[in-house]
Amino acid sequence: MKMEDMPLSGPDNTKLEALVHDIYSELVEDACLGLCFEVHRAVKQGYFFLDETDQESMKEFEIVDQPGVDIFGQVYNQWKNKECECPNCKRLIAASRFAPHLEKCLGMGRNSSRIANRRLASNNNMSKSESDQEDNDDLNDNDWSYGAEKKAKKRKSDKNQNSPRRSKSLKHKNGELGSSISTEPYKYNYSTGISYESLGPDEVRSLLSTQCGVISEHTKKMCTRSQRCPQHTDEQRRAVRVFLLGPSAPPLPDTDPVVESDSFDIPDGQTLMSRLQWEDSPDISPADSASSKTSTNHSDSRKPKKKKRTSLSLNSGGGGGGGGGGVGVSLTGGCSSGSSSQSNISLSTKKKRPKLTGPSISSIYDDLN
Amino acid sequence: MSKDSQMRAAINQKLIEMGERERLKELLRAKLVECGWKDQLKAHCKDVIREKGLEHVTVEDLVTDVTPKGRALVPDSVKKELLQRIRAFLAQHATL
Repeated sequence: MKMEDMPLSGPDNTKLEALVHDIYSELVEDACLGLCFEVHRAVKQGYFFLDETDQESMKEFEIVDQPGVDIFGQVYNQWKNKECECPNCKRLIAASRFAPHLEKCLGMGRNSSRIANRRLASNNNMSKSESDQEDNDDLNDNDWSYGAEKKAKKRKSDKNQNSPRRSKSLKHKNGELGSSISTEPYKYNYSTGISYESLGPDEVRSLLSTQCGVISEHTKKMCTRSQRCPQHTDEQRRAVRVFLLGPSAPPLPDTDPVVESDSFDIPDGQTLMSRLQWEDSPDISPADSASSKTSTNHSDSRKPKKKKRTSLSLNSGGGGGGGGGGVGVSLTGGCSSGSSSQSNISLSTKKKRPKLTGPSISSIYDDLN
Repeated sequence: MSKDSQMRAAINQKLIEMGERERLKELLRAKLVECGWKDQLKAHCKDVIREKGLEHVTVEDLVTDVTPKGRALVPDSVKKELLQRIRAFLAQHATL
């Protein structure tokens, strides 16, 4: 009964065809039988007629088979061409655009407030830059054009217009300067210089206490960077102060490490420090208060020296710079600022500086502990 | 004719052994469901059942009623495809 013995030949073909058909019929009968068993079981188990309900519902939800309509009988693009009247602006708006239009029209929703704010900001900037153009003409001695600068900076200022950071940084500067000075030049001249000719002596003094202030040869403007700005040396800063405020100019909060005092006594320094640490400074900016207590104390200690010396408001920016780093970093920064603060007390704190760092370090550790 | 029947038996055996029969069966079932043959036949069953009464339906009733109709209702495309596959199988394996 080997299959190999069966050759496929002509007369056999019909037989083969018959065979094929027979096989096919068997398969179909199997399928029919399967269905019968399934139905019979469903009938006997009682779930055969479960998908049927009463005649009325059957008629109601019958499958629709018409052109232009889906099987539920609904039309596809029914609302596409309809227009609705906006209750706010009384305009006729296309149905699909109605919801976004309402959002902007009523001023509610996420996007509309953002867009409105951005528009306001750009309007303000444009109007302000135009109005200040004339005022600042005097200040603009040189090629630097205020308007162009404004435009270039506009995007950046737009971005930060409503963010809390902007007001925070403004507050920071305002707090240090005291409220008497107009901060107008500040707002627009963040990264550029200020012309010293237009400022009064008080303004100059406060400016110099917070900023580098070195006058650039090219632009004749004061550097607005911090006291520790890397572009200028301390010598330059001192020279500027002497130039602007006279020979009796107050010293820089960050003096050279060489400048120390002979007569400075260690125990005095310690008591002084401890005394100073308890005095509150109303001028502390948010940045300072956010930093570690140690550095806050140090910047605290700066404040009273103001009363000792001249009316120069002290640079808490330097203290802030020392305190800006983390606690670990501020130790070293605090050390130097601590020592320099002590050098502020009397300008001639010279030789004893290494020893001074000792007590200041221990006091810092005490504070930390 | 025993040779014939022998041949048939052999071929059938081969079909089953190689799993081809199962495959063909599944293929046919799927195609019949796709083309709606099953639903048609089910609807016919419903009529029969309503006619005969729910309680008294037997398998034989259904079978005798449904099978000829079922055979007739199979679409041509399905039939052709199945015949083709069977022929191919035989051509491949009948001369081994």
